[in-house]
Amino acid sequence: AMAGVVRRLLRRGLGVTAGPPPSTRQLREAEEAAPVFQYAGKAAKRKDRVFVWGFSYSGALGVPSFVRPDASWKKPRRIQPTPYRLETEEKISSAACGYGFTLLASKTRDITKVWGTGLNKDSQLGFQRSRRDQTRGYEYVLEPSPIPLPLEKPQETRVLQVSCGRAHSLVLTDSEGVFTMGNNSYGQCGRKVVEDEIYSGSHLIHQLKEFDSRVVQVVCGQDHSLFRTKKGTVYACGWGADGQTGLGHYNITSVPTKLHGDIAGVNIIQVSSCGDCCLAVSDEGDVFGWGNSEYLQLASVTEATQVNVPRHLPFKIGKVKEAACGGTGNIVLTEEGNVFVWGYGILGKGPNLVETAVPEMIPPSLFGWSDFSPDIRVAHVRCGLSQFAALTNRGELFVWGKNLRGCLGTGRMEDQYFPWRVTVPGEVVDVACGVDHMVSLVRSFT
Amino acid sequence: LNAMPGRAPRQQIRFLPTPAPGGGGAVELVAAKVPPGSITVSLAVRGPRFRKLKIGAGHRLDVKASGVFVLGIGHGNKLLTDLYNCHLTKVYTVGGLFGKATDDFSDTGNLVEKTTFDHITREKLERILAVIQGTNQKALLMYSNIDMKTQEAYELAVKGLLRPMGKSPPIITAIRCLQFALPEFQLEIHCLHETQQYLRKMVHEIGLELKSSAVCTQVRRIRDGVFTLDDALPRTQWNLQSIQEAIRNCQLRVETELEKTLG
Repeated sequence: AMAGVVRRLLRRGLGVTAGPPPSTRQLREAEEAAPVFQYAGKAAKRKDRVFVWGFSYSGALGVPSFVRPDASWKKPRRIQPTPYRLETEEKISSAACGYGFTLLASKTRDITKVWGTGLNKDSQLGFQRSRRDQTRGYEYVLEPSPIPLPLEKPQETRVLQVSCGRAHSLVLTDSEGVFTMGNNSYGQCGRKVVEDEIYSGSHLIHQLKEFDSRVVQVVCGQDHSLFRTKKGTVYACGWGADGQTGLGHYNITSVPTKLHGDIAGVNIIQVSSCGDCCLAVSDEGDVFGWGNSEYLQLASVTEATQVNVPRHLPFKIGKVKEAACGGTGNIVLTEEGNVFVWGYGILGKGPNLVETAVPEMIPPSLFGWSDFSPDIRVAHVRCGLSQFAALTNRGELFVWGKNLRGCLGTGRMEDQYFPWRVTVPGEVVDVACGVDHMVSLVRSFT
Repeated sequence: LNAMPGRAPRQQIRFLPTPAPGGGGAVELVAAKVPPGSITVSLAVRGPRFRKLKIGAGHRLDVKASGVFVLGIGHGNKLLTDLYNCHLTKVYTVGGLFGKATDDFSDTGNLVEKTTFDHITREKLERILAVIQGTNQKALLMYSNIDMKTQEAYELAVKGLLRPMGKSPPIITAIRCLQFALPEFQLEIHCLHETQQYLRKMVHEIGLELKSSAVCTQVRRIRDGVFTLDDALPRTQWNLQSIQEAIRNCQLRVETELEKTLG
């Protein structure tokens, strides 16, 4: 049909009603006279987007039509198996997934800097005033809603990072310390435990400022919190029965306290935790671990199943750049770009490798490395409770692990035993893994 | 071929009756080599040895494309079927031109639209190529029909040997940009089960992704399984000696490849 239209147009343009087909010169002239369309403007920039996938019924994905469909014939979507675009008002610079809820933060200077969606039974998303009853708050938030932070200078302070645990959240700002909200039954919010405190519909957001230097990273484990400062020290508070606070005892701590052990005096550049085990990486590339070791996470140094003091893990795998801790398995990324896994569960080397105490390398060919493309490297590694995610320098996202309620985003519901590409329409810049959902920050291609 | 000296005529072994040693008049059958009578050998009686040659063609190459085209002669036809079942990748160099869109995706078609292309950079093109490679990699694993939950699937995936061994839609296993000089560019594409028109459509789609348009100017197959450009005979060498030499050179490689893949 296209060819016929073009031929008719050409004929009309050349004043020939019928007869021999136009000659080459006539065609060339017609071609040069054709209008030129411009699809990309001068200021066309790559856009930043947010993609979500996984279990949606708690509202954690931030799409209300999944839970409450907007037309009567539509059915609620319990699981979103592939990446789905989430419209946000601002550019999101940091995202975190908790147990059934999500926090999104932007580096803007506007009053609203953090949005929350999902489960809010312990006020982990702050107080979300219900429209039906002004005195009560929402227990489930279906759409990213602003979280009001009690900032002293709301139009100057910027939010750097957010982190979510089982029922609490931490918000890191550049000049006003750390804000904590949510469940505090074990002191994970860094304030004194109040007996019989009702967390649902609570307005309380606590501010933490007493650290030896500025806090640069906050990490939430299941019921504990870790703070890393600029000087390279680590503070912890919260539930400690597995030694995850690393303070030398198994009790709860309600005030952030400095960790010692093997990391005393060491400049720690990254901390990670998701369940009850914690990992820290020093500037010299050493890995330290503490907490739960029931799944051989720390079995290379001790037979004990709980370790309450940070211990150096003497792995001979090269200088470590980044570490991520999951519920039962751990993953590290070395300076050369190699990925090592250990622990228990689906580790990523096929169904035969179920547990190992010593790190095993995942072959780089599974991340797209080949003789044809030899400069592909893994740039970041992330961990959910029983999933792993790896980001390459080309912006591709690979996931593997237990596919709990579609959280891997592969489109299939089966578990994935080796790294598998997730098709995202853009270059993945960062990904946050939760228990049964994931959020990714993506830049469009052109 | 018919002018070449033929095979030496086979010596026939006949059982001839000869008188048995020891007399008696009994007749024994003794095997003896008998040169065939000249009548059975002479060309005039038998006629030329080869009257017809069975020639089969390998993977299709359409009219507008050029490059390596595999043919099988006689017994080679059976090898052709086996090679087809190996599902080896083919490599093409595809040339493209930004700024135009035509109805059949090549530069000889009818013009549909012209667009600007100054905003396109090599980096943007390479990003799109990386995405194409990624999605096709996924298709590769999915159509290979192996249960992903087995250790065998993991082993094959690590070695990069996981590929569809049956019917599948066209899959691109690797793609990279060889040359980039606006408005022209050249890509090297490794693919399976494809047609040349699919490659032209791919060029058109790359143009669309980059917010412009593109047409395909050249499709050239430089490798088909084990056969590369060096093995291919150009038109000047389409004679008996070169063909025989080419067959001899490739024989070993074809055999090893078939053994490796089909066992």
